[in-house]
Amino acid sequence: MADHRVADHRVADHKVAHGARNALGPASALDSLDRRRSVGDVLAARWPKVWPPLLAIVLALLIWQLVVLSGWKPPYVLPGPAAVFGQLAEDFVDPRFWTAMGTTMVRALLGYAVAALIGTVLGLAVARFSVLRAAIGSLITGLQTMPSIAWFPFAILLFGLTEQAILFVIVLGAAPSIANGVISGVDDVPPSFLKTAHVLGARGLSLLAHIVVPAALPSYLAGLKQGWAFAWRSLMAGELLVIIAERPSLGVQLQFYREFADATGLIAIMIVILVIGVVVDGIFNRIMNDVRRRRGLGTVRL
Amino acid sequence: MTILSEPVIDARADAAESAVRLDGVSKVFGRGASRTLALRDVSLDVREGELVCILGRSGCGKSTLLNLVAGLEQPTRGSIALGGRAVGMMFQDANLFPWLTVSGNIELALKLSGVPRADRAARIDELLELVRLPGAHDKRPHELSGGMRQRVALARALAQECRVLLMDEPFGALDAITRDAMHDQTERIWAERGLTILFVTHNVREAARLGDRVIVMAPDPGRIASETLVELPRPRRMEDASVARVSGELHDLLREHELEAHRG
Repeated sequence: MADHRVADHRVADHKVAHGARNALGPASALDSLDRRRSVGDVLAARWPKVWPPLLAIVLALLIWQLVVLSGWKPPYVLPGPAAVFGQLAEDFVDPRFWTAMGTTMVRALLGYAVAALIGTVLGLAVARFSVLRAAIGSLITGLQTMPSIAWFPFAILLFGLTEQAILFVIVLGAAPSIANGVISGVDDVPPSFLKTAHVLGARGLSLLAHIVVPAALPSYLAGLKQGWAFAWRSLMAGELLVIIAERPSLGVQLQFYREFADATGLIAIMIVILVIGVVVDGIFNRIMNDVRRRRGLGTVRL
Repeated sequence: MTILSEPVIDARADAAESAVRLDGVSKVFGRGASRTLALRDVSLDVREGELVCILGRSGCGKSTLLNLVAGLEQPTRGSIALGGRAVGMMFQDANLFPWLTVSGNIELALKLSGVPRADRAARIDELLELVRLPGAHDKRPHELSGGMRQRVALARALAQECRVLLMDEPFGALDAITRDAMHDQTERIWAERGLTILFVTHNVREAARLGDRVIVMAPDPGRIASETLVELPRPRRMEDASVARVSGELHDLLREHELEAHRG
């Protein structure tokens, strides 16, 4: 498809040089062809992307079931997929599960929002001011390598067993990745774009808004995605360590099931945590691919 | 009808006001051991409405000269006067912003030069018509061929009502057929709009095809070696015998400068 379009434009180009009107006609005809695809065609087009992950899931479940059948561990320690998914179905109709999920998601979104704000501002400041870069540039990368769980003892001393302690660690975990995304994005704006922008009269804020930020967007999004992964990990560590009375969360559920040696419930919650991580990652990937595709990046695979 | 002399003092310079005036311009890059003299004592007077080609091999400072006129660099010595004329610039790469459509790229130029939102759509239509790309509004830069991209870049430069257009080897990366078409377009728009154009190239034939005057530059340090008036009637074509003859004469000049440099 892509190849045909390129060829089409060459033809159009030639026509225009000879003064023909509406030279882009052939390309728009192709566009309307695209829109006439039926639902079956769409499914057929998606299938190559759908079957590999499906197959992977089926294989994983199969291996899990085989390990259970082998009798390596007793079923009360390692239950099979059927028991776990039965438990999951029960969880989904249990209001306590949704309360726990709600607490966890509110913490995740709040912590991530604060981290995104701080990371973005910090990243822009470091990218812009060389003194600041010299002072804390490598510290930001250093912070990224610090396991967030190592912050918790300190956070608990500072804030006690409170929401703030969890938020504090989420922000420390996620903000450096986001700041680094901004910094490398700004650093990698092609000089030719800056030259062109200068000739077009973009200065200061208008240069930042119209050229630097959009040019840095792919790298920024990569930083946001990595920041999310760190935020989610920090949150799970936090919910296991900072248990606040009367406030159920996914982490508390894990701890609760471990104390009652309920492996089925434990694995069910773990699957929930994994799926949330995968889904959010998928959303980020989708946005990033969209941005890249619009710029003509990643359309050619070798 | 070609007058070759060396150096030529442009007899017509007094007839029209000069649009671009460089006076004893030198440019030094770096400091200490890495200090290089990119341009030495360059003086140049470009008439309003003149199409001047700057010819030379790579490293002779011709792009530096253009960057100085565009205000992308500041001269180390000497002065550059544009009489308040707006400057547009094109590069070898179109440098369209890939996150914007064709319309978006032109609109950004209009916005940055203060054109009110209500007037922009009509101006975009007019500019795309001018570069013969009507209906390309919603295309993304990566969907266009090299020639089309350069035409959008031209429309974007013209969006700011520039009076002086600086072109830095704009067609160097295009195939010969597309390049010929771009020459025709450049010549047409130059005449229609009464633009003053400074056109940098290392293609001798291209300089002879386009220029009212060809400034030949020599390297180490970058300087003006000679000027040639090309008094051929327009429109010209790349394959005209007269263009070929001027091109031959320019080649001879370049060779002479090389020999002089070796003797020096």
